[in-house]
Amino acid sequence: MSAVAAKNGEAAAPHVELRRVTKRYGPVTAISDLSLTVDKGSFTALLGPSGCGKSTLLRMIAGLEPITAGQCFIDNLDVTDVPPAQRRIAMVFQSYALYPHMTVRQNIAFSLSVAGQAKKVQNERALEVARILQLEPYLDRRPAELSGGQRQRVAIGRALVRKPEVFLFDEPLSNLDAKLRVQMRLELAKLHADLGTTMIYVTHDQTEAMTLADKIVVLDKGVISQVGSPLELYNAPANKFVAAFIGSPSMNFFPVDIAAINGRTASVVLPGGRTVEIGIAAGAGARSAELGVRPEHLTVVDPKDPAAAFAGAVAIIERLGNSTILYIETAVGQLIVEGEGDLDAKSGQTVGLRLNQSHARLFGATGATL
Amino acid sequence: MTASVETGADLVAPLASRRLARLRHLDLVGLVITLVTVVGAVLWAFPLYWGLVTTFKPEYEVVRPGVELWPQHFTLENYAHVLLQTKIGLWYVNSLITSGAVTIIVVMMAAGAGYAISQLEFPGRRFFWWMILASFMIPIPALIVNHFILMSQLRVINTLAGVVGPQLIAPVTVIIYKQFFDSVPKDFREAAVIDGASEFQLLFRIYLPMNWGVTTALAIITFIAAWNLFLWPFLAVSSEDKMNITVGITQVHDAFGVSYGRDLAVAMLAAMPVAVIYLIFQRRVTQAIMLSAGIKG
Repeated sequence: MSAVAAKNGEAAAPHVELRRVTKRYGPVTAISDLSLTVDKGSFTALLGPSGCGKSTLLRMIAGLEPITAGQCFIDNLDVTDVPPAQRRIAMVFQSYALYPHMTVRQNIAFSLSVAGQAKKVQNERALEVARILQLEPYLDRRPAELSGGQRQRVAIGRALVRKPEVFLFDEPLSNLDAKLRVQMRLELAKLHADLGTTMIYVTHDQTEAMTLADKIVVLDKGVISQVGSPLELYNAPANKFVAAFIGSPSMNFFPVDIAAINGRTASVVLPGGRTVEIGIAAGAGARSAELGVRPEHLTVVDPKDPAAAFAGAVAIIERLGNSTILYIETAVGQLIVEGEGDLDAKSGQTVGLRLNQSHARLFGATGATL
Repeated sequence: MTASVETGADLVAPLASRRLARLRHLDLVGLVITLVTVVGAVLWAFPLYWGLVTTFKPEYEVVRPGVELWPQHFTLENYAHVLLQTKIGLWYVNSLITSGAVTIIVVMMAAGAGYAISQLEFPGRRFFWWMILASFMIPIPALIVNHFILMSQLRVINTLAGVVGPQLIAPVTVIIYKQFFDSVPKDFREAAVIDGASEFQLLFRIYLPMNWGVTTALAIITFIAAWNLFLWPFLAVSSEDKMNITVGITQVHDAFGVSYGRDLAVAMLAAMPVAVIYLIFQRRVTQAIMLSAGIKG
């Protein structure tokens, strides 16, 4: 492969590119006519609910899954029919796939061993990788004798030792407990900063995608819903699916009527009869829509407050310390509100809700943002 | 004084309850099962005991009417005759060579075939699988005439290769390997494929070592079966120099006819290596028998 030639290319050149890729399993279409470019050195997350095709996409890039139609390029080279081992990629599996009968050293050096590298080279490289991942004390242990985090590091080590052009991660943190997941997330971010290698990361956890990636690809039923930076997706979701998927707690949605459209502003009549102005894209037109408001853009106020857009009864209070999550039953259904950690509220209490309309979004009948 | 009385009472109470608990365990059903098992064990072990005792009896005691559980005149003459006057050493070597060859070839072939059927995509895979399953359903003795004709056409009758040949048909071993390779998570395979492993490396470095227990169990049981096999080696070989130990037993006679003591002595010597292997690898053999019976151990 002429990877060296591509290395001398532009920094922003696409490193991995999928062109009009389709994947079918018999009559079922998992990926439909999808095109995607991943920049060199970027950390791209493929995000979506289970069954959206994100793992299939990753496996097609890895060469583990044949592509039904379309092409896959790595370093401007068509690798659609190239076997996985020759794509200069490395993959970390959700299950880690560590060989139970081999020591950490043997696991890390496996790719070198099958390539017929000398024992000395294998040991040196394994040690080098173990040093980066702080695995030196465990080199002669077997996977069964390691903790979850250590196993995860061995799996990364096994990928690292091959000095790949592209790292592929298939939900690598989902088998770890919450605390370890945060720790490993930081280690992965550090690894990416140190190596600068292109990384493609599959996850269903939006927190992982938001914290690690510089570009997130949101997938829904085998098609790309939106591609963008974490904040772009959060603040300017392209559709209701992205708006609902990104952010925790999830965005609130309720139907509204549009009274008038004036350029880039829509006058929206809320269920209580109150009218608010919501920003829309130029040229959008609809009579009814769904209004989406993030929990932190609703503020608890006195029900008699003139600024209160809704009133409702507090159903459930979740105190998280730094914030309080309220589930409030209103005329438009249950709304989730995120307030200060010391927010004064009681279950059953009637409260008013003020809407931060500059952050609210309108979604049309198809789900697309207006 | 008072204190000691109290201690005594404290001891009596738990002791009684423990006895009661033990009695509860020793219920009637348990007793019947134990008795049946003991009777079964005695019935099963008696022929072995009878055979062993006979080897230490002089021939006139063996053929004498009546049941004598212990030799009146203890003798090692039968063993001396078998060890010194027959080709038992050669038969041992022949058994070792043929059983060893059968074991190695069967395990390697079955692992390869099991791997191919389990992991590779090739035309006719399903057909091969059904063929293996079908061959498993035909008892080997039913094919013995065909085997004889085939071996004779291959001109290997009366050779060790002729003894080994038909024993290499081991569909059960292939089926067991296939089942085990099926259960290896596909992530292992994919990780190795990305690392550049060939199919041979996958088999010998991942799949076989990950199922090492199965391999040892199958190797032991294949070896024992090959060692104990009588019918085929008996038909395939007529020259005394090419005989296995099991067939060699038939050669232990002299001008005066059969000597039961000597026959049983050679039978005991023939069974000894298998008994030793069984004692050493008891757990593995049990596991293999369970696997062969279709119960995953």
